[in-house]
Amino acid sequence: MISRGIITDLNDVATRVAQTQRKLSTGKELTRPSDDPFAVGKALGLRSDVEGLVQYQRNISDAEAWTSASDTALGSLTDIVQRGRELLVRGANSTSGAADRGMIADEIDQLIEAAKQEANTTQGGRSVFAGTATNARPYAAGSDTYAGDGGDILRSIGPGVTVAVNVRASDVLGSGGTDGKMLNVLRDISAHLRGGTAADQAALSGSDVVAIDRSFDTLLGARAQVGAVANRLSAAGDRLAELEESSRALLSNTEDADMSKTLIDYSMQQSVYQSALKAGAGIVQSSLLDFLR
Amino acid sequence: MPISTFMGLHTSLRGLLAEQRALDVTSHNVANANTAGYSRQEAQLQATDALALPTGDRLGTGVDVVAYKRIRDSFLDLQYRAQNMQVGAGTTRADGLDQAELRLSEPGDNGLAARLNSFWGKWADLANAPDSGAAKQALISDAKTLVSSVNALDQGLQTVSTQAGDELTSITATGGQLQQIGKELAGLNGAIRDTQRVGGDPNDLLDRRDVLLDQLSSLAQVSVADDGAGSINVTIGGAGAPLVSGSALTWPPPAMSASPGGKIGALMDLSSPTGTIASFRADLANVAQTLTTQVNAIYNPAAGTDFFAYDPLTATMSLNPAVTAASVVAGSGAAGDNSAALALSELRGATGGADDLYSRFVTRIGTEVADARRTTQNASALSESISDRRQSTAGVSLDEEMTNLIRFQRGYQAAARAMSTTDTMLDTLINRTGRVGL
Repeated sequence: MISRGIITDLNDVATRVAQTQRKLSTGKELTRPSDDPFAVGKALGLRSDVEGLVQYQRNISDAEAWTSASDTALGSLTDIVQRGRELLVRGANSTSGAADRGMIADEIDQLIEAAKQEANTTQGGRSVFAGTATNARPYAAGSDTYAGDGGDILRSIGPGVTVAVNVRASDVLGSGGTDGKMLNVLRDISAHLRGGTAADQAALSGSDVVAIDRSFDTLLGARAQVGAVANRLSAAGDRLAELEESSRALLSNTEDADMSKTLIDYSMQQSVYQSALKAGAGIVQSSLLDFLR
Repeated sequence: MPISTFMGLHTSLRGLLAEQRALDVTSHNVANANTAGYSRQEAQLQATDALALPTGDRLGTGVDVVAYKRIRDSFLDLQYRAQNMQVGAGTTRADGLDQAELRLSEPGDNGLAARLNSFWGKWADLANAPDSGAAKQALISDAKTLVSSVNALDQGLQTVSTQAGDELTSITATGGQLQQIGKELAGLNGAIRDTQRVGGDPNDLLDRRDVLLDQLSSLAQVSVADDGAGSINVTIGGAGAPLVSGSALTWPPPAMSASPGGKIGALMDLSSPTGTIASFRADLANVAQTLTTQVNAIYNPAAGTDFFAYDPLTATMSLNPAVTAASVVAGSGAAGDNSAALALSELRGATGGADDLYSRFVTRIGTEVADARRTTQNASALSESISDRRQSTAGVSLDEEMTNLIRFQRGYQAAARAMSTTDTMLDTLINRTGRVGL
């Protein structure tokens, strides 16, 4: 009976030592769902959360590349429009002759092509200003017609939160024709400069100035919008990084073994095992037989 | 009637013989000190009938061994068998559920939770680059891995269930453990009855029968009915008729009740289509079905075809063969449209979604396994304490047997001394009386 008790107890202690040893070698408190079912369920949820946060941060850096490309292109467009306005003022001046106006008109035509080229900016092989038709160029060569679509490029930066990161060229530059946007205005100016009639002259100093100022405002508005989106992305990125850190800490608390505690447990259990072995060896040996002749 | 001169010799002789028998029993105990299931025996000594004297007094005539008693508490046996049944059931159930839990590989990087996380991540990557061939290829590969993980897990659970069924069949089939024990019990019943009929004490046979009943009790619930003539009728698993009645074994065995307890009961539950493992598979099927339905609900309107397919009859999930790296889309419109991919990546961790259901499934399995282990530990502890009590009654204590040895040895010496005293007296009477002058 004593021996059976000793064997059972030794087995129990040995099992506990083996479990602690497994915790030490894996560094994890939870190695199987049955160790602590509720904690394991929580750990699974936390892992999913952490992965989600990492993914959102990836999305944000992709979106930031998009807004950065947009911002650069819009900056160049601003320069182009400002140059256009200077040329308009010079051309509207009644002292310039037809030949001068012709040269100014040529330069404005070149500005239009430059503007369209900026609008055709790509990022990672995709058109930045073409809405969701990212495989198309907003402006084909020789055409003022906008070839993209009206879609938003959406990026997910949080659970259920999406942000539109693009600006459409159709909103800023327009689609040629008579829609009153940038391309239309510049074409008109060029036509008026070449026209030379009194009506053209009046337009150059009047309605064209108003029109170009208006489209300049639209451009600035678009730039401000991109800037605002970029700020939002940056703030979200910072916040997500903090959230990720605290989630990882929570996950570690749930899942990982407290190394110092586990080491102490291990050495304690080992010494218990040694003492049990020693005691067992001592008890089972002596009996009455040793004392009878 | 005068008493015979030689009565003293006979009295001492009886003493010698009785002490010798008692010594034999002690050495039998000592020899069987480590035999499993052995109950220690005791020679019951009783004074023989006294001789009636003419004066009305009675003179004792010595001692005799009336029986070789087997020291065993049958009530403790009943308790032990009931507990042993629990231990048998608990151990088997814990083992089976353990195997099911191992197939989960949770928490870890190879389990289904990690696969699901990776899957949602690939949709998010596709949303960032809706026309990227690399993102599409990565998504399709990941979807295939996810599908095969789900199917492999279901297969694994089914294997556990099938193995439990196989083990059950091997125990209860012809030539299996149940039949062997039954046959031996029937044989023992016959031998014990025959021995008892002629007045013997078949102690060792009774011990062997008790060992067999212990083994049987871990297989299923055992009820024993003593028929008073030395045989027992053994019914197992709550069946309507006994398995062993007298020296006859009923084979095939009478049908057991729906919950026969013990190892057989646990195996029945593990392998049954309405048992624990089957309910785990049903939960997993629910996870797979929910995943399929939710993904298709978003993907189908955008792409026109289903993404996943789930077959409830074979419990297999599959990727629609029409969806390939070339044909998968992130949205329904232009090249940059990622609405479907965005919505699908938002399914990560959604309440009521696949992630949520799966995490509940894992928690459920963990709880069941932890429960089974705890129950088994409790039952084992109880069973061991009862076993200790049995041993304290029926077990051989070498110290006690040594003391008995001394006792019976001295008794034998004293009886021999009494005999030689009587012998000396008779010698004086017979050889030395009436030899006056010789």
